[in-house]
Amino acid sequence: MSDATSALVSDPARPQVSVEGLSRSFGGTPAVRDVSFAVGTGEIHGLCGHNGAGKSTVVKMLSGQLTPDSGQIIIDGRPVQLGSRQAAQRLGVALVDQELSVIPALTVLDNLLLGDVSVPLVNRPRAAAARCRQVLSDMGLDRLRPQQPLSELSIGERQLVEVARALSQNARLVILDEPTATLSDAETEHVFAAIRRVAAQGCSVIFVSHRLSEVLDLCDTVTVLRDGRRVATTASAELTVNDLIVQMLGEAPHRLVATRPADSRPGHELRIEHLRVPGRLADFSLTAQAGRVYALAGQLGSGASDVLRALAGLHPQATGAVRLRDRAVPFRSPLGAASAGVAFVSNDRKSEGLFMDKPVATNLTATRLPSLGRGGLLSSRRERQAARSLAELAGIPDHRLADPAAALSGGNQQKVFVGRCLGRDDVWALLLDEPTRGVDIGGRAAIHRLLRAAADAGLVVIFSSTELEELLELGDVIITMREARIVARYEDSVDGALLMRDMTHGAHAA
Amino acid sequence: MTTANNDHRPAVASSAQQAEAGTVPPASARGALSRVSARWRPDSLDIGIAVVVLAVIVAGILTTRFFSLANARAILASSAWVGITAIGATGVMIAGSVVSLAVAQTATVAAMIFLSTQQFGLPAAIAGALASGMAITALQGAVIGFWKANPIVLTIAAGFAIDGVAIWISGGSTVYPKVTAFNGLNDTPLGLPLAVYVLLGVTVLTQWFLRRTTAGRQMYLMGENPAAARAAGLPVARVTVIAWTFFGACIAVTGIFLAAFNTGANSALGGTLSLDAIAAVLVGGTAIGGGKGSALRTLGGAVLISAISDLLLLRGFSTGIQLLVKGILVLLVVIAVHVRSARGRR
Amino acid sequence: MIRRLASRLEVVVPAVALGVTLIAFLCTPAISGKALSTFDVYNTFQGLAQLGLLTLGLGMTMIAGEFDLSVIGVYALGGMIAVQAGQSSPVLGVLAAVAAGAAIGVVQGGIIARLRIPSLVVTLATYIALLGLTSAMSGGLDVTYGNAAATLWIDRPLAVIFSVPSLVTVAAFAIAAVILGGTRLGRQIRAIGGDRRASRVAGVRVDRTLAGLFAVSGTLAALSGALYNYSYATANPDPGFQPLILATVGCLVGGVSLAGGRGLPAGLLAGALSVALLGQIDAITAIPDDFTELLYASLLGIIVAVDAPGLREDLDRLKARTRTRRADRAHDTDARTEQGTHA
Repeated sequence: MSDATSALVSDPARPQVSVEGLSRSFGGTPAVRDVSFAVGTGEIHGLCGHNGAGKSTVVKMLSGQLTPDSGQIIIDGRPVQLGSRQAAQRLGVALVDQELSVIPALTVLDNLLLGDVSVPLVNRPRAAAARCRQVLSDMGLDRLRPQQPLSELSIGERQLVEVARALSQNARLVILDEPTATLSDAETEHVFAAIRRVAAQGCSVIFVSHRLSEVLDLCDTVTVLRDGRRVATTASAELTVNDLIVQMLGEAPHRLVATRPADSRPGHELRIEHLRVPGRLADFSLTAQAGRVYALAGQLGSGASDVLRALAGLHPQATGAVRLRDRAVPFRSPLGAASAGVAFVSNDRKSEGLFMDKPVATNLTATRLPSLGRGGLLSSRRERQAARSLAELAGIPDHRLADPAAALSGGNQQKVFVGRCLGRDDVWALLLDEPTRGVDIGGRAAIHRLLRAAADAGLVVIFSSTELEELLELGDVIITMREARIVARYEDSVDGALLMRDMTHGAHAA
Repeated sequence: MTTANNDHRPAVASSAQQAEAGTVPPASARGALSRVSARWRPDSLDIGIAVVVLAVIVAGILTTRFFSLANARAILASSAWVGITAIGATGVMIAGSVVSLAVAQTATVAAMIFLSTQQFGLPAAIAGALASGMAITALQGAVIGFWKANPIVLTIAAGFAIDGVAIWISGGSTVYPKVTAFNGLNDTPLGLPLAVYVLLGVTVLTQWFLRRTTAGRQMYLMGENPAAARAAGLPVARVTVIAWTFFGACIAVTGIFLAAFNTGANSALGGTLSLDAIAAVLVGGTAIGGGKGSALRTLGGAVLISAISDLLLLRGFSTGIQLLVKGILVLLVVIAVHVRSARGRR
Repeated sequence: MIRRLASRLEVVVPAVALGVTLIAFLCTPAISGKALSTFDVYNTFQGLAQLGLLTLGLGMTMIAGEFDLSVIGVYALGGMIAVQAGQSSPVLGVLAAVAAGAAIGVVQGGIIARLRIPSLVVTLATYIALLGLTSAMSGGLDVTYGNAAATLWIDRPLAVIFSVPSLVTVAAFAIAAVILGGTRLGRQIRAIGGDRRASRVAGVRVDRTLAGLFAVSGTLAALSGALYNYSYATANPDPGFQPLILATVGCLVGGVSLAGGRGLPAGLLAGALSVALLGQIDAITAIPDDFTELLYASLLGIIVAVDAPGLREDLDRLKARTRTRRADRAHDTDARTEQGTHA
């Protein structure tokens, strides 16, 4: 990375990094189509787009995690092949991923120095500590000590350390993917100051974010993607948040359909009172009735996902009171939540959902094994019946039942994941975190049908999503969230742009 | 032999990789082929083991006295004690608790209790030994299941404690029974030691348990993906205890046979049982990460190890060479098993 | 506060362990009736020499999140090679042993890192194989080391309480401390153990580092075996499993976690010294064996409890429950002031 610094000649007009005609498909479905834009030396370039617009695919291609199907990446005038993260790093591309890559077991100083090739073999403790303190101070982290274990830091502070690490690596291009999702306003200001400083030294910055006002605040130019294509690249001085929303959505979707009335069954409700998760969810209360579908609309860091996870028993430190069908739900353990009738579909079907090497049939019956036999035994006949009827319900072809779950498409996998919660008489609440993530249009429609049917069958259905169309289509009641709190609740017709504003902007004016 | 359920591996790696990226499955023709082949195509591990078995058979043909009834009996007999314990260890490994390093000590204590309760009759002595084995391991299983303690550290600690108990029971010397009601256990009906029949019985019982019961199925699930099992509300802790309790019963059975054979028990009785059992499970092809494997595999592993040692012995190789070959065998099988596993967690 | 303590476990645990065992050691005259002599200290350091190098090698692989079960096999093999090849020249024997240990370590490290196979199974297989190889080399019998001069020289007390093996051991710890503390290797090793994926993402050369670590572990194990066998003038093809167990105890008591990411060479030294002290206390006071075993068990039991995530979750749950109950009570006494946002 040290040779990158020598190549940094400050010339804002000359693009340092550009992509031309970038395209990438996954199994026939195009994710990025012919995207081209350029980032000048010292330019802070925003990249915006709604879910599925192709932002993360572009980021992955620029950072070496994916190879483009066609098109070119040009760094400093020369087309490059980025075969791996390491190769990209060597060419001067630093990435701050959405997923935290700092190591809690190490100290702050160790994390900052880790993997940096300019760090000498022999430790220079005083120089390193001084540099560390400088970097921390630039980030507004004066209160931290270099020798402090990272495990003592909050998520926001850890994120800041990771950003600091990327920014101190003398890269040509720094890509930040949703770096402020978990940060407070003050912390965000520090990140911005550090980014501006680095850009002033000639580094190019790509800033991916859904927080539109921040994007306009920080970036010189903003490229908006929609459906895999570049919609526009505009100087931020000429844009407002509303302009961005229009660019991102095209025509803002609107919901006109009247919502379903609440189920007349009285005791059939999920009462959540003052649900809190320290550090993730400030205060959440809701009385959800059977027969309706509730949608939590919130981006990463809004707390929407944490509401569901807390209800499902995955946050042992959660406080509050939860009652389902007038019985208290022991929501601090997954076993307790399940015993009270809560079924949870997480947003990560690979590591927290399905059993990928096991057959589809096994996955479908995984949560209802006690009902498939007596006295702890499994009846293979009943298992086959259950698997077949569930497959039919979920829309999985019969002949795939013996295949391992890993062999299914993302949409079918999700159908299995959702399907296995259905048709059980001991499940009263169905919670889904991003139910159609990584699912194509057809699969999405199928899953929506499943959820609607579940609600009609008398379940309380609550899901979280960032997909406007999904929220509007499926949600009878939409609750917007931002920064660990509820922003607003919508039951009647609502404008997609308004939802977007709530999610990205909270209660502030444009 | 490969049933559709739990010994399954993804048929086509590339489609699995594609699927992980969230894509559409292969075109219909290829998909049809992979569907059919997914059900019966033996994977590289099974092919590898078949090759080894073939090599053993070929070498056996070239060795006098290998293919004789007496030799077959000897092979089965020497695999019995370790085999019984290994079957129990299989359940624990499938359920994701990896290994126990306290096996030898547990067998020793069970043996001592068996011998010192002989005066109450054989059934009572057996019951006492089984109960002690099960209680010891159930406690470990509870700490591992409920508190997610590291099995290696915990079983090392337990090993010390159990050894201390053994020393206390035996007063530092050997425990001898006052009465010998166990002579029947050393019988050899049809020329095979009783232990072999018990091994076969335990294998069948365990295989049935793993395939045909709720708890067995849950073991496969939680072994493969503990986070998913937990989030789905499966009773992970309880099933862990069940797996360990069954393991304890198996260890106790081995201890009983050891006691009956040696007619005396000191704290060294367990010997190398811990590692021998693990080796048998691994050679059978069960993955140490959990979620895959079967009792039949472990039986095969135990017998294979025994057969190879026997073959080498007949050909005049020392115990040292036998051990060396055993180690290499474990290494090869383990590499074959784990290289395919897409468990790139680290 | 507990979290701060927990994050410095690698310092606290070995310090407490060493402190307690040292005090117990100093109190042994009360039980044995005899005053402590320099010979007892010498013996303690001999005990340190016997398991110190194993503890160091094993500990460093544990910091990286792996577990090298084969150290005991390399120990046996190294010792056997040293005795057989070093009958006339002990230096040659040691070099041969160390070379073998390093080679075995590199191969293992390569398999573990490149093929991403759990180290437990690879090293278990190697352990079995090496035990076999050692036995085959000696025909299953003990081999006597004829070089009496070397044997006498190696155990000669230096500065009253030390000997060549114990000084070599302490030197090894010192070198490890300097390298791990003074270069970026220490950081990288802890990172690999702490979060392997994040380390790769950050650009750490994981595969190379792991191979190197296993090579070091093998080297130290072989060296340890060689010195031990010279000292006892015999090579035993099967030293049993106990040395590994004791080395593991030394690592755990030395503040290393099996999950990886935590540990210091100084801590490992303290851990090994604690175990050596315990051994010496046992020898001096003739405490009944079952009591000693229970002592080790309780020691490890505490470490198990400290490292168990499920226990921490239960504590979190308990805290949350009491907090909720307190909030409920406060809420009841407040007359109807609804806080928070209700949807």
